[in-house]
Amino acid sequence: MKNNIRIERAIKNITQAELADQIGVSRQTINSIESNKYIPSTILALKIAQVFGKQLEAIFVLEEGD
Amino acid sequence: MKPHSLFPYWCRYVGWGLVLLHIPATMFGQAHGMINIIDNGPASTGLFNGEHLFFICTSLLMVSGLFLVAFAKEKIEDEQIWQLRLDSLRWAIYINYLVLIISLVFIEDVGHMLELNLWVPLLFFIIRFRWVIFRLNRALSREA
Repeated sequence: MKNNIRIERAIKNITQAELADQIGVSRQTINSIESNKYIPSTILALKIAQVFGKQLEAIFVLEEGD
Repeated sequence: MKPHSLFPYWCRYVGWGLVLLHIPATMFGQAHGMINIIDNGPASTGLFNGEHLFFICTSLLMVSGLFLVAFAKEKIEDEQIWQLRLDSLRWAIYINYLVLIISLVFIEDVGHMLELNLWVPLLFFIIRFRWVIFRLNRALSREA
């Protein structure tokens, strides 16, 4: 699963640490999600989408083979 | 996810304290002949004799210390940490059973197998868990 959190962060001009604070996870987790090393739970994915004010599908995209 | 089944963060330091306390306690026991390491067997027989009690005390110090270190919360205990915990626990169980099976085949002394079973899962869990967290932090500092 791909995501464009990094781009959305740049648009919203917030750091990894600020995003992490807003959704109550560590900065390491945001970094792992951004680099596709960790797939977040539905709850966390919804929280991230909520921060950016977008639909889930606008941020997380299924890849072939998923 | 709210991890209810973990100790508070500060318990980690208490745990390391207990593990460290185990070292002088064991040295004291050796110095006073309460642990007979060279012969690898009890100096006197019977349950709850001096040596057995001392073994129980030092083992309890070590095991409860490792237990607290292993199962104390991280500063931010989020779902990724929870996932890493489960993954490390799985590997610890694999390694533990591998060691147990090997020792079952090649070692006659069943008493030592109990000791192995006491340390191996906790120790391996702690090493593996700390290692993946170290790798996460390293990836983060590379990113910055």
